[in-house]
Amino acid sequence: MCMHCLEISRRAMLAGGGVLAASLATGVAHARIRPQEMTSLIGPGYKPTDRDEVGIWQLMNRVEEEVSGSNLLIKDKATNDYVRDLIGRVGGPAAKDMRIYVARIPDFNAVMFPTGFAVVFSGLLLRMRNEAQLAGVIAHESGHFLRKHQIRQWRDMRRKTDIFAIGAMMAGVAGGAAGVYTGDLVQLAQLGTLLTLLKYNRTLEAEADAMGLKLIAEQGLRPLAMSETWDQLIAELDASARYRRRRRDRRIGLFETHPLPETRRADLKISASEVTVPGRTYDDGRDRYLRAIAAIRPMLLDDQVKLNDPGASQYIVETLARDGWNGLLRFYEGEIWRLRNREGDDTRAAQGYAAAVQYADAPPDAWRWHGVMLQKAGRLPEARNAYQRYLAMAPNAPDAPFIRQQLQQ
Amino acid sequence: MRRLTLLLAAAALTLPACVQTRQYADLEFTPPEGNYKLLVMRPDVSVGSVTTGGMVEPRADWTEAARTNLIAALKAQQATRGGNVLIMERRDSLPGVDPETVAELERLHYAVGQSIALHRYSGRYLPTKRGKGLDWTLGQDAVRLGQRTGMDYALFLYAEDSFASTGRVALQVLGVAGCVVGFCVPNIGGGGQFAYASLVDLRSGEVVWFNVLQAGTQIAGIKMGDLRTPEGAAQAVDRLLNRMKPGRAVRERQKASR
Repeated sequence: MCMHCLEISRRAMLAGGGVLAASLATGVAHARIRPQEMTSLIGPGYKPTDRDEVGIWQLMNRVEEEVSGSNLLIKDKATNDYVRDLIGRVGGPAAKDMRIYVARIPDFNAVMFPTGFAVVFSGLLLRMRNEAQLAGVIAHESGHFLRKHQIRQWRDMRRKTDIFAIGAMMAGVAGGAAGVYTGDLVQLAQLGTLLTLLKYNRTLEAEADAMGLKLIAEQGLRPLAMSETWDQLIAELDASARYRRRRRDRRIGLFETHPLPETRRADLKISASEVTVPGRTYDDGRDRYLRAIAAIRPMLLDDQVKLNDPGASQYIVETLARDGWNGLLRFYEGEIWRLRNREGDDTRAAQGYAAAVQYADAPPDAWRWHGVMLQKAGRLPEARNAYQRYLAMAPNAPDAPFIRQQLQQ
Repeated sequence: MRRLTLLLAAAALTLPACVQTRQYADLEFTPPEGNYKLLVMRPDVSVGSVTTGGMVEPRADWTEAARTNLIAALKAQQATRGGNVLIMERRDSLPGVDPETVAELERLHYAVGQSIALHRYSGRYLPTKRGKGLDWTLGQDAVRLGQRTGMDYALFLYAEDSFASTGRVALQVLGVAGCVVGFCVPNIGGGGQFAYASLVDLRSGEVVWFNVLQAGTQIAGIKMGDLRTPEGAAQAVDRLLNRMKPGRAVRERQKASR
């Protein structure tokens, strides 16, 4: 039940022409789900009573024990308080029951588990420009829990695999009796089963989008923020692919467990106008958001830049800078060039550091690298100043003694 | 085509069920005896039901029953060996050691266990480990736990069990019945036991003995063990732990002195 991850083997494609036939049979047409139709299927304090759901909850409680004790979790109090407060606002009737964990994984993702605990990846916090965008993702995840998606998906899968198993066996026995080999038909049926499983999944994702939109609008957060998230994701994937001289992974829509980003974006845009109440003011909550993640933002940027995906990193920094450049963003812009290290990148990096130190919030490392670049360019007195500034800001840096020694020479 | 199906079916019928264990030990390993102190880490147990379509659906009540039975069976088994045992039922049931430390060690062991499974059981043999028996360690973390608790060994246990649902068994019956008309599916599978045990010497931190148990059939509906019953759990503990062999170097010395 994650945002946009999928690993579906395309081996099933080997069924060849069967794909086309099956797609006609199951239909790949998709209908937008209206936010107004989305109501929570559970109330506060929900506990499962059905045998299958009880079993899954028990297993998931073990998973939560592992997740909550994982050393991948970000411990920063301000961040944790903030996301907990946010899921408390957009969690609908189950807001008080849900738990949320922030994991240090530099990837655009968030996951809701069947028992009502969510894991938000740090890469998501990096990319969100404001509270409304983050709330949109968290509300989407809440939607999965409120609409009981995991157990519904499980039951659907169980039913379909049951039918397939019985059908395959019956076809075989009938074929055997009639002296016909039915292997190909069975294979086709298998593909059909797979396709309907994915269809259900896509419907659930669309439901979660609609539910999420309704939840954030009720909280007075700007509904259009959710489709803007998809604008950003699509553009980032394109930028990353362009840099690597590849086409964005255009996964086959037929096998997508989630609706295509473009489809989601379009649906979210239309639905946003439906949930917008004329005359009401909607808020982005950008300041609140930035204040909450202030302590971890340098780490978020650092993790991204070190992924060695300059196309995506550059897009992210520039997108965040649409709300205004600052020392931190300029510094990491320089870092992207320095680490990319192509022809002319050292000059670009030097310019990035030089721009960063113009801002009061430039991190110490911006001064350090500014010094390094000036020293390389032979501008020694200026380099000396930059180094001194660095030492003043970070007197206990690991390389401080080395730089002090250099300054003495 | 039909003939091939029948041939395969015949081959499968001759090997329908098996109980298999495979153990590895440190070259210098001697099974603990006499007055040793054994700490059994919280057993990781899960039991489920195999749906008609072949998915394993977790069952809370079966899992609870299996965990209780396994712990009882372990206590009974250790009582016969003269060891001094402490079985952890929860992560915080070790006095003086915080649950986080226990969790860390469990995770470390999980990673080491994965490596043992890959390089000893899955055929990805490492040239550097050739002829060395079992050569893995949990390091100082395990030694510290030993010092803090006064325990000599730690035993890590994992067990999963699953049982064919009525629908799965019916499907199996249909598959066998189909043999009459030449469509033979006598082994759709469904259910089976998988467990492993890992013994860590807390004085050195090394994993000194490791055993994997697999019990199952290719025929849905026939059980080779059942952790949900006290007898089944005792049988699993017996298969897993009661035939501990000494390490190779020790065995060779024993043979030479004979």
